[in-house]
Amino acid sequence: MPIINFDEVKIGDTLGPQEIYLSKDQVRTYARTCGMDVPRFTDDEGARKEGLPGMIAPGNLSLGLLSRLVTDWIGQSGARLARLGTTYRQPVQPDRTITLNGFVIDLEPAGKRVEIDVWIENEEAEKLVIGTASIEFP
Amino acid sequence: MAVEYDPALIGRVFEVTDPVGVSAEDILKFCAAIGETNPLYTDEAAAKKGPQGSIVAPPSFAVTFRNGRHFFTHVPRFGAAGFDAGKDVEFRAPIRPGDKITLSSHVKEIYEKTGRSGSMVFVVVRSTVQNQNGEVVAHIDHRFMNRP
Repeated sequence: MPIINFDEVKIGDTLGPQEIYLSKDQVRTYARTCGMDVPRFTDDEGARKEGLPGMIAPGNLSLGLLSRLVTDWIGQSGARLARLGTTYRQPVQPDRTITLNGFVIDLEPAGKRVEIDVWIENEEAEKLVIGTASIEFP
Repeated sequence: MAVEYDPALIGRVFEVTDPVGVSAEDILKFCAAIGETNPLYTDEAAAKKGPQGSIVAPPSFAVTFRNGRHFFTHVPRFGAAGFDAGKDVEFRAPIRPGDKITLSSHVKEIYEKTGRSGSMVFVVVRSTVQNQNGEVVAHIDHRFMNRP
């Protein structure tokens, strides 16, 4: 559920989980839309030539999905995403289901700021991408 | 192994890109690519009533602007394979239709780390994303991982 105001946010509140089936077409569309039209993001054969297991999703797509997780949670509350940091630990491969997760780890009442851990998991519950986000209420 | 590079390159702007125009259609295409359906980014009528007063791009649109050819000649590489290790983005202002966006980039930091899989060299490139009014819309710290 999206949040309404700072006062109702508590440490331990969760974002998601949002399950997404990431298709090869979606990854290709992202890569082509964002000027990253290179084999590792568009075709399995080309990706294998670069030593990868097959096509992978661009890091920026993972960042975009985690950003979306946070802005969905912010909803129409007027808060804004002020910072998002991501670490790509393992490649995100398409044709699989991934899950977007978040967890409120800290609150700064003075600046009406909320710190959130965010991550992307695969079906084996391995964290492929981890990160932190900060949101600010007006 | 000591990482060797010219210390003068740290902090020196190696590239300011030509402005890239942003249209409402570009924003909608980006929304479709990340599965974004939030009306503040996709529906002009709903966005009018929102905090920004019109459609703006989702925050992560800021990372889609690319460095140009100077990147490859000025950012040092260590070893054959380079991977995108992560990004740290500070969002300062929304990107709107009609904006003209430039990137100004420098190498912020180079450091070595030893992990389970061996030695890695990280190169951090900081790009400042600005609109046509000189307003900073985002700072992006991009970490590249190299295996020497």
